Amino acid sequence: MSEPRDEIPVQRPWMAIVQKIGTPILSAALAIAIGSFIMWISGYDAPAAYAALFKGAFGGPKQIGDTILRATPLIFTGLAVAYGFRAGLFNIGAEGQLFMGGLAAAALGVFLVGQPWILVAPALLIASALAGAAWAFIPALLKARIGAHEVITTMMFTYIARYLVSWLVVGPLKAEGQIPQTTALMPEAQLPRIQGLFSEGALEAFPFLNLGRAHLGIAVAVIVATIVWLILKYTTLGYENRAVGFNAFASETAGISVQWTTVKALCISGALAGLAGSVEVMGVHHRIFDQFSSGFGFTGIAVALLAKNHPLGVIPAALLFGALSAGAGTMQLEAHVPQKIILIIQALVIFFVAAEEIILWFVRRRQKEAMSHAG
Amino acid sequence: MLGDIITPDLFASALRMATPLALAAIGGTLCERSGVVNIALEGIMLTGAFFGTAAVLATGNPWIGVGAAMLSGVAISAIHAFASVNLRADQVVSGTAINLLALGVTGFLMELWYGHPGTTASIQVLRPIFSFSSPGGGFLAEAWRWVNGIVFSHTPIVYFTIILAVVAQWAMYRTKWGLHLRALGEHPRAVDTVGVSVYRGRWVAVLMSGALAGLAGANLTIEQVGSFTENMTNGRGFIALAANIFGRWTPVGSYLASLLFGFADALQIKLQILRDVITVPPQFFLMLPYVLTVIVLAGVIGRAVAPAAVGEPYKKG
Amino acid sequence: MPVLELREVTKVFPGVIANDRVSMTLERGEIVALLGENGAGKSTLMNVVYGLLSPDHGEILLDGEPTKIRSPRQAIDHGIGMVHQHFMLVEPLTVTENIVLGREPGRFGIIDFSDARAKVAALSKRYGLKIDPDARIMDLSVGMQQRVEILKALYQGAGVLILDEPTAVLTPQEVRELFAVVKSLVAEGLSVVFITHKLEEVMAVADRIIVMRGGAVVGETRPSETDAVGLARMMVGRDVVLSVEKGAATCGDTVLDVVDLQVKDDRGLDAVAGVTFNVCGGEIVAIAGVSGNGQSELIDAIVGLRAPSAGSIALKGADITHASARASIEAGVSHIPEDRHRRGLVLEFDLAENLVLGDHRSAPYASHGFMKPRVVAEMARTRIADYDIRTPSEKVLASSMSGGNQQKVVVAREIGRDPELLVAAQPTRGLDVGAIEFVHKQILAAREAGKGVLLISLELEEVLSLADRILVMYEGRIVREFVGGEADAETLGYHMTGGGGSKLDEGAQTEAAGQAPSEGEVVR
Repeated sequence: MSEPRDEIPVQRPWMAIVQKIGTPILSAALAIAIGSFIMWISGYDAPAAYAALFKGAFGGPKQIGDTILRATPLIFTGLAVAYGFRAGLFNIGAEGQLFMGGLAAAALGVFLVGQPWILVAPALLIASALAGAAWAFIPALLKARIGAHEVITTMMFTYIARYLVSWLVVGPLKAEGQIPQTTALMPEAQLPRIQGLFSEGALEAFPFLNLGRAHLGIAVAVIVATIVWLILKYTTLGYENRAVGFNAFASETAGISVQWTTVKALCISGALAGLAGSVEVMGVHHRIFDQFSSGFGFTGIAVALLAKNHPLGVIPAALLFGALSAGAGTMQLEAHVPQKIILIIQALVIFFVAAEEIILWFVRRRQKEAMSHAG
Repeated sequence: MLGDIITPDLFASALRMATPLALAAIGGTLCERSGVVNIALEGIMLTGAFFGTAAVLATGNPWIGVGAAMLSGVAISAIHAFASVNLRADQVVSGTAINLLALGVTGFLMELWYGHPGTTASIQVLRPIFSFSSPGGGFLAEAWRWVNGIVFSHTPIVYFTIILAVVAQWAMYRTKWGLHLRALGEHPRAVDTVGVSVYRGRWVAVLMSGALAGLAGANLTIEQVGSFTENMTNGRGFIALAANIFGRWTPVGSYLASLLFGFADALQIKLQILRDVITVPPQFFLMLPYVLTVIVLAGVIGRAVAPAAVGEPYKKG
Repeated sequence: MPVLELREVTKVFPGVIANDRVSMTLERGEIVALLGENGAGKSTLMNVVYGLLSPDHGEILLDGEPTKIRSPRQAIDHGIGMVHQHFMLVEPLTVTENIVLGREPGRFGIIDFSDARAKVAALSKRYGLKIDPDARIMDLSVGMQQRVEILKALYQGAGVLILDEPTAVLTPQEVRELFAVVKSLVAEGLSVVFITHKLEEVMAVADRIIVMRGGAVVGETRPSETDAVGLARMMVGRDVVLSVEKGAATCGDTVLDVVDLQVKDDRGLDAVAGVTFNVCGGEIVAIAGVSGNGQSELIDAIVGLRAPSAGSIALKGADITHASARASIEAGVSHIPEDRHRRGLVLEFDLAENLVLGDHRSAPYASHGFMKPRVVAEMARTRIADYDIRTPSEKVLASSMSGGNQQKVVVAREIGRDPELLVAAQPTRGLDVGAIEFVHKQILAAREAGKGVLLISLELEEVLSLADRILVMYEGRIVREFVGGEADAETLGYHMTGGGGSKLDEGAQTEAAGQAPSEGEVVR
């Protein structure tokens, strides 16, 4: 049965954009609304909680800096998951690749002591990308060659990476002292804080530059997001990536190697996640230890979905989750709401974006009402 | 030294370790046979573990805890069923949302109810059903020590799981429900056209997998550990999925595959205890189940065929 | 009183009226043919009767009683059975399991398999539909699977049987067997609705013919009162040329040279067992055969999607035996794939992106790894104009186009690439008459331009009207070759099922002779 569908609805560009942005915004709003409801039935003061959260995330330049700080790794993990999704792959194990990326930066950074920043910093970033890609390579190969589901394999590799790091920081790479962690990176291996780039005078004249702990990683993140966007839109690599993601059979027929594209896509995804590890190590902790990532790899899934897998959309989506995470501390401190509520909101965002039908159902009903009023 | 490792306790421990995996894996089998991927087993297990513990803490009765664990598993899997079946959402993504939700909800309630993150107070656990003594020396006594250790040392859910695997296997191939289930994951429209509801069949399967994964959580807290710790499932839900694949989407196969993983876990624990003798860092032993999972998947996938329509939302008409 | 009567049934899909006040009747013991083009609304109408769709207006009467049929379950309960175009069989399950699905004998939810098997055996005996009740569906031929579908409907107690395009996948011989089965069913008191778009079938089997066009009934007649030309006019709404006009072949250089090619299928069995043929420029060579006799594997090997296990393939003298799909495209092989939704198009891509698929990495559309969107868009606009693709712009998503337009996109891309060889696999499957005419014209134009064309089709009419030479494939071998005009449908069908002696391959003949009876004896 073929349905004639030749009447193509006229799509105005602005309508397409509204549609693209509309559902994510509604999803986020609905998730936050349900979050408030949960706070309310749990006996917390939701408005006060959100006020505290807002204060913690945007209350001043320092707080904004904190939001940026937390959004930085999320942009990378969001890009990682989004790039995989664009090839039909679900890199649920970005967290593991992030660990390996961080490990590479921390280990190599100690090794490259004494070299100029301009050499060391890029070298560490590249090393972490390679480490992340390498960690994704075996799952990628298993997926391409025998179809082993990447969700299980990358997840397993995440656990393996965590134990590997946890062994290295108490074992071979342990710094002097009691704490299980690696030796701190020298300044030439660090990503400097943004406020550190300006003179005292400049900071006094423009107080909004006092971005606290936010570091140069955000610039790297924005540049990389732009590059990923250009790759997907304007290169044959990106075209083939999207083609395979949409329809592997048609791609194969058109002479695109599905296996090779799969390996490339998951490794690039791993490389992006690896970069998340290095910006955390080089910009924030300056070393690696057991718990150096607060689940950025998993939050990256929510970021990518909220961005609808658009590389540039990842930036605002990461900023939203960065703000939630930056504000959560203040929220717990001032309104006593457990920070875990943020996880719940994240889950709800994923859920609503995935089950777009819910949102679309609301929208359609509104449209129908509008139409019946007009008619 | 080998004698220190190969003991009745090792095999008994393998059976214990296999139990939560097997319960979740059989749940996964039912769910995937109906055509719904269940990545959420991890989160459902965690939910069951938490609410089971909470119920025991509130009532002091471990059996009420078991019931609460299963009910909470059903409740959270209902979200997955609604998203996957009615809203036709991407099932893997919906499962991921459930996993995150479980992490958030259990952590949130932990602080709300007990005022601190981390681990709950200890609870009353379910005891082994049998307690036979192991008398004296000699060959017979030694043999009895092995049989008693491996067969008669277990808690109720461990035995229940073995029975469940066999019963589920039988039901899948001998009952109407089983025939419908097997057809659902292969060709849902064929099932629909003979007048059997696809939605209902899938809902039931997802809820059953929720009950079983919830029970797996109860086994972890109410039979094995005796308290709840945040994120204590530690990837078991994903290993269970692999066990389901290794067991070729059959209940008995899932159980046997889980035994393999359970044995790896038991061995790992045993070797850690012997860390003075074997000087390998414990992290490498801890990695073992995860490495084994990857190896098993790598070795088996090409020959195991998933239900044809698994992961595909079904649209009526 | 009619067993089934429809009154003013209307079904509207967003933007389309699929059924517009359709009324019809079906008497007991009658075979009514529902004739119409693809998209005429036949299947929609029957899905309404079977409870898969609910009508927006109108009513259904069963034995004179107005009845609401809300689900297939209710349809079955009312004694309506339907054999769908795409079989509703669960491949890994057995024949018995499929037949009893939904109405399993047994108590307390436990299936009584011996009872089930006995019931299936009794039915198959009563209606002369021989079948192995314990065979798995995936091991059965298409004809056998259809038999299971009919048995399933009978098991469910169908008094009215709806057959949706039942002959689309059958050989002429199997079609004749099916007609015999249908007539014996009617003799047993069943009533049959027979959906088709093939004129000869209607003339052969129907008691009464209802013609649909554009969602409405446009005429009703009997085989004795009309002929194929009259029916065709009614069906399409204008006079149709039933044959294709084409000039004599002007055979140029050899374009494709296949020598002793062997290809294995997914299960590792020899699907193509030593095939030798060539295609020259300006010639259309058709491969006729029943689905599953190695044609798909042969095409896959030629276009580089499957590695041959022995033999060689050469394009214009250059060896492409082990070329990848990419190398094969670059060497000049174009491919209109069998299943365009699966292999021909990326539905989520827009038209321009689809039209460049396969050429997306070569000049002028890309250089140094970067795409050139402007060049691509310009090419797309040219193709849209040249191939009469109905679309407001090249930025429209392929998924929002009709089937005919989608196929035009594939044809435009593959022929527009200016290949040496065009491999066209079932290029008109599922298209309406207008679109079929268009695709045929384009294939002939490629032939006029001196391209080699390899056509694989299950539609014998298409093969007969287009081909300069016809190769008959059976069990992985070419068992017979005809020069165009030499063959007719009956002869082709005969050889397609391994019935004939083989001039080309003695081995195939003995093998074929050994296989044929087991297929043939079952019905009688």
